[in-house]
Amino acid sequence: MWKEVRDREAGKILPRLFTSRVRSRRVAALQLSNHKEIISAHRGAINSIQVDLTEGRYLLSGASDASVAIYDIQQASDYGERGLIAKHRSLLFVDKQHEHGHKFAISSAIWYPIDTGLFITGSFDHDIKVWDTNTAQAIMAYKMPGKVYGTAMSSIATAHMLIAAGSADVQVRLCDIASGAFTHTLSGHRDGVMTLEWSSSSEWVLMTGGCDGAIRFWDVRQAGCFLVLDQLRSQLGRRPPLTENPLKKVNASRITPAGKNSARASPSHKRVLPGNAMKNSTASTKRHNFPRGSAAQRLHPGMSSSLNRATAHYGAVTGLRATSDGMYLLSSGSDSRLRLWDVESGCNTLVNFEAMRLQTSKPLQLAVTHDSSVVFVPCMTSIRAYHLWSGVTFQTLRGHYESVNCCYINWHDQEIYSGSNDRKILVWSPISSTVSEMEGESKAADQDNWSD
Amino acid sequence: MGDVSDRIGRPTDNGQVGIIDPDCRLIGLHLYDGLFKVIPFDNKGQLKEAFNIRLEELQVLDIRFLYGCSKPTIAVLYQDNKDARHLKTYEVALKDKDFIEGPWSQNNLDNGAGLLIPVPLPLGGVVIIGEETIVYCNGSSFKAIPIRPSITRAYGRVDPDGSRFLLGDNSGLLHLLVISHERERITGLKIEHLGETSVASSISYLDNAVVYVGSKYGDSQLVKLNLQPDEKGSYVEVLEKYVNLGPIVDFCVVDLERQGQGQVVTCSGAYKDGSLRIVRNGIGINEQASVELQGIKGLWSLRSSTTDPNDTFLVVSFISETRILAMNMEDELEETEIEGFYAQSQTLFCQNALYDQLVQVTASSVRLVSCASRELRDIWNAPSGFSVNVATANPTQVLLATGGGHLVYLEIGNGKLAQVKHLQLEYEISCLDINPIGEKTNSSSLAAVGMWTDISVRIFSLPSLDLITKENLGGEIIPRSVLICAFEGVSYLLCALGDGHLFNFLLNLTTGELSNRKKVSLGTQPITLRTFSSKDTTYVFAASDRPTVIYSSNKKLLYSNVNLKEVSHMCPFNSAAFPDSLAIAKEGELSIGTIDDIQKLHIRSIPLGEHARRICHQEQSRTFGICSLRNCLINNDETEIHFVRLLDDQTFEFVSTYQLDTFEYGCSIISCSFSDDNNVYYCVGTAYVLPEENEPTKGRILVFAVEDGKLQLIAEKETKGAVYSLNAFNGKLLAAINQKIQLYKWMLREDGTRELQSECGHHGHILALYVQTRGDFIVVGDLMKSISLLLYKHEEGAIEERARDYNANWMTAVEILDDDVYLGAENNFNLFAVRKNSDGATDEERGRLEVVGEFHLGEFVNRFRHGSLVMRLPDSETGGIPTVIFGTVNGVIGIAASLAHDHYVFLEKLQSNLVKVIKGVGGLSHDQWRSFNNEKKTVEARNFLDGDLIESFLDLSRPRMDEISKSMGVSVEELCKRVEELTRLH
Repeated sequence: MWKEVRDREAGKILPRLFTSRVRSRRVAALQLSNHKEIISAHRGAINSIQVDLTEGRYLLSGASDASVAIYDIQQASDYGERGLIAKHRSLLFVDKQHEHGHKFAISSAIWYPIDTGLFITGSFDHDIKVWDTNTAQAIMAYKMPGKVYGTAMSSIATAHMLIAAGSADVQVRLCDIASGAFTHTLSGHRDGVMTLEWSSSSEWVLMTGGCDGAIRFWDVRQAGCFLVLDQLRSQLGRRPPLTENPLKKVNASRITPAGKNSARASPSHKRVLPGNAMKNSTASTKRHNFPRGSAAQRLHPGMSSSLNRATAHYGAVTGLRATSDGMYLLSSGSDSRLRLWDVESGCNTLVNFEAMRLQTSKPLQLAVTHDSSVVFVPCMTSIRAYHLWSGVTFQTLRGHYESVNCCYINWHDQEIYSGSNDRKILVWSPISSTVSEMEGESKAADQDNWSD
Repeated sequence: MGDVSDRIGRPTDNGQVGIIDPDCRLIGLHLYDGLFKVIPFDNKGQLKEAFNIRLEELQVLDIRFLYGCSKPTIAVLYQDNKDARHLKTYEVALKDKDFIEGPWSQNNLDNGAGLLIPVPLPLGGVVIIGEETIVYCNGSSFKAIPIRPSITRAYGRVDPDGSRFLLGDNSGLLHLLVISHERERITGLKIEHLGETSVASSISYLDNAVVYVGSKYGDSQLVKLNLQPDEKGSYVEVLEKYVNLGPIVDFCVVDLERQGQGQVVTCSGAYKDGSLRIVRNGIGINEQASVELQGIKGLWSLRSSTTDPNDTFLVVSFISETRILAMNMEDELEETEIEGFYAQSQTLFCQNALYDQLVQVTASSVRLVSCASRELRDIWNAPSGFSVNVATANPTQVLLATGGGHLVYLEIGNGKLAQVKHLQLEYEISCLDINPIGEKTNSSSLAAVGMWTDISVRIFSLPSLDLITKENLGGEIIPRSVLICAFEGVSYLLCALGDGHLFNFLLNLTTGELSNRKKVSLGTQPITLRTFSSKDTTYVFAASDRPTVIYSSNKKLLYSNVNLKEVSHMCPFNSAAFPDSLAIAKEGELSIGTIDDIQKLHIRSIPLGEHARRICHQEQSRTFGICSLRNCLINNDETEIHFVRLLDDQTFEFVSTYQLDTFEYGCSIISCSFSDDNNVYYCVGTAYVLPEENEPTKGRILVFAVEDGKLQLIAEKETKGAVYSLNAFNGKLLAAINQKIQLYKWMLREDGTRELQSECGHHGHILALYVQTRGDFIVVGDLMKSISLLLYKHEEGAIEERARDYNANWMTAVEILDDDVYLGAENNFNLFAVRKNSDGATDEERGRLEVVGEFHLGEFVNRFRHGSLVMRLPDSETGGIPTVIFGTVNGVIGIAASLAHDHYVFLEKLQSNLVKVIKGVGGLSHDQWRSFNNEKKTVEARNFLDGDLIESFLDLSRPRMDEISKSMGVSVEELCKRVEELTRLH
């Protein structure tokens, strides 16, 4: 670290490179925190956790015992173990006893992205509730047609305040906080919707993963879904080579491991570029410019049956996570596979993530580092970290006694929080030498005494 | 104009790439990982709409356009997942807005390959510069040569056909790469050593073997490549140097001359170009001789004959006598006499005149004296009842004023004084000038006259004494000195008032008209104006309580203060013993000295040949302590050796050196003293940086005393990490060690020796990189967790966290502005200020440092220090404004000043008006540029003002100023005055 600090101050490395090096080094050194502990107040499996997006200070967790809690992860409530371990107790705790409390398991708890004044919970009691953080009162409730599996709000939205909700029902519903009513229903999935994710580059684009194995892309300004990801549509057809022997080239690229150079568009598709797309997206007259392929004309409602039936996973899609640069989407499925998708073309990049076993019946919350280099996946009782571009296991975080449901990366501090069926929230932080240092010092003092 | 930013993609870590197709078909930009932005040109050269192309190579090191391709083609140098480096080419298909797989590629290059050089036709292709090899390839041919291991960061093309390139590496060596070829076929690569320059960041071959070497780490240079090597075997001859202070990694503010004016001593440069730079504001006078003389009322120098190039006599006038000093044979100044002069009264003016004569004007008479015989040749007596009040003269003319507003014009003949004209004005005359600046070098056709009562300045023609122009100055302060002068061929009339203000006008020499009136404030006391020349350029010296030199650059008048306290009179005195000197009368003293080059900032370089990283000054021993490092070859391995060095603060010579252990780096140094110990020590914090460790786990704190100019190690204390920062704290030593803040006591052992003993600590930081203290408060700038405020509790002997800024700022420097407000600089080139909220209602509020100011500086700040580069007069308006100096990676030294609220409000309004009038470079918006911007957010700047922008008010044309004055509702004069006050801060 010292060397980097030195090179940065001499202008030998760019400040951006400095931060990304420090972060990736710290991510590589993650382990169960030896100085930070979250005292979980839940008496059931923890299904959903999120740190607020404004300050990165408050962790929200929702659990199967219908309880939701908030912890200050920056400021400890007290210190244990000779003052070396910071204990973080819940600042707010709402459970069944609360007058507005959910009756059944909370499957999803998310912060309102703009400030910490509101948070949203979705529960198996079919309700979605919007809570005022300061008074701990539910100020709004939406009745869904089935058990709520997931909720999502767009962190970049400036023109809408929509909660996207997926439930046991086939329809995805959009709840408008501004009006307190449902504004849209999005139909297309053939089974319940497990997981939802807003695009990190366009505030209008929502991605949903269903128990039918489909991942659908929606532009909420328009009817119908405009893209269904197909696991069989990969991008191996590389750009047309200049020399006129395409066969040879294609073969060659097939041989190369499907590693990083994998985001490939089939040449027949006219590609419109994402950067420009973003700027135009405010103009409602412009069509959304995700590639439509040959079926562009028949998107909805009569999307050709073969396209419409495309699946991203065999079995249910259990987790979705978009990279923060808006270029890729990760999905996990009950087929115990993790897939990386190129958002722009909708193609499966075929990154082969090493074998894993995933929970099949529950939504999983994945976490991706902001530099899109590492993905953290709850794999039964452990959390595995994979390199995004090679699919190679990079780390396995073991500490939970039962299956892990959710993990969240705090990119500011490079800490991971994970919630599990064992009712614990664990903190994974980069190795800190503080504790060992203190021990070392006391030893040294002892030695001095001996030598006297 | 368009915006090339995207909402998709992650900005590149390796720096942005911007390239233009050699056939001008498009601009290529690599700004985000995975995206290549294309801005096409149409055939009229207009830019068309930009689009992005997906670039699969994520770790791009360099991109260049290739020459001679029918379609625009790029070569991409990139690194793959396994850290291997490859080259790939793509054609840009403008119609399809996509890449087409390029004509060729080259896999598995040198691991240090980092620079691509496209080779023009007829050869085409690229040269890839690695750390150990240089490779040429163009798809069909491939050529590689090994080189001495080096890191090349800059190249310059010599020939248009690309057969020779200059390469500069980071040890400052310049090489010539020769690509020999037969038509389109390469036959060989050859590398030749040319010599040494500054560490090059850019190389431009100009013409005729002259090369500009731009450097980030040392002075930029203009070098000539000679055909023959010099005796050292170098072909490089440095023609000129351009000062570069960057990167300023540390600096300290000292007052070496003890004049009450700060100087900045920076650790600048890197690698072999490391140096100390002493930066000083204002013009210095290097005193050569001085005598004590009280009550000087005037000062003139005279030559012994018209033909003598040097001045001999120095005429010093007192209230009731005139004394004449002259250089004797031993080049000493001794008192002498000029018989023809009247020595029993005050001299009003003296001058060498034509025909080898001298003129002296006293209250009663004008005397013409022969230089040779020194005898009186003619005399003009003031009419009885009148005495001469003010007078001026040039070699052929005398203009004087007697009481009652009488203006008398005399002409000097050979042994003859003739009264040519006499005029009575309505008011008394306060000052006069007939300095000849026109075509005739000995006489003037214009006379400037300053008046009492109506406070005006008037221009008369000579010899007729007809009034040409009258300019009322306004106000109640009379003009005390007028001067007609010319800078860079432009004629000016300067008129100084009794309250330290100065008017300047453009003067039309033929018509005598005055225009473009401007007013500045130079001081608070009456000003006396005098011209002098240095290095064949004319300057004006304004003697007052704040002596100033007025000069012109790019036809704009500039004012540089002189580093003297108060000067009553000045005259140039160019004698054989004191060439190019000035005689200066100041508080009870007459001194003779030479003047520095006329410019605002003076920078002196002390080349060290090694990289200085930390510096501090010790007043008591009059030394500087520095931590530095040097790259040495030991057993053919390049290793860094780190030193603690002691430098004399006058000569800047190394007087003592302490070499640190292998792998031990000096990280911090301070000069401090401890309670119960009167000695002053240098404390040095170090880190053992082992190759296998990510983060140092061991370091030392070394305590040195300076004894007989030598560093003497008094105590050392091992630490569990790198000592990033040291501070003197309540007679103890506060160290920042990795995650921890640790306080050490200075304890007396039984055997009388001293040791550092740890007292208490505080952990919970990621890395406590920057620490400042004030009283019992400790402000910590963390690697990535912004600023936190700690408090040392004496009774409990513990350090506790009081408050924290919860934003995720990656800090680069912090400073305490006052008890409540702390200034921080962060990784994305922003400044911000936080305030302690001690009267918050809840614990939560009190525990939060409130962000009160945000600003995009656009510079990477390495260090803040309290202090100022200018002499502060306590009674002036700016005297009470606290300032902080900062130094940046680019070599910028800047000032952050804390303004009072009403002052801020006024200037904020002025700034918002200026933004409307002054357009930014390229039409970019000022608000946007100054908006605080990091990975997470972009917010408009608040509570920070852009001083450079506000000061540019003074450069505006008068109509523009009027426009702003109107919308502000404040007079232009008032605005100028307030902005000028600001300029005094630096």
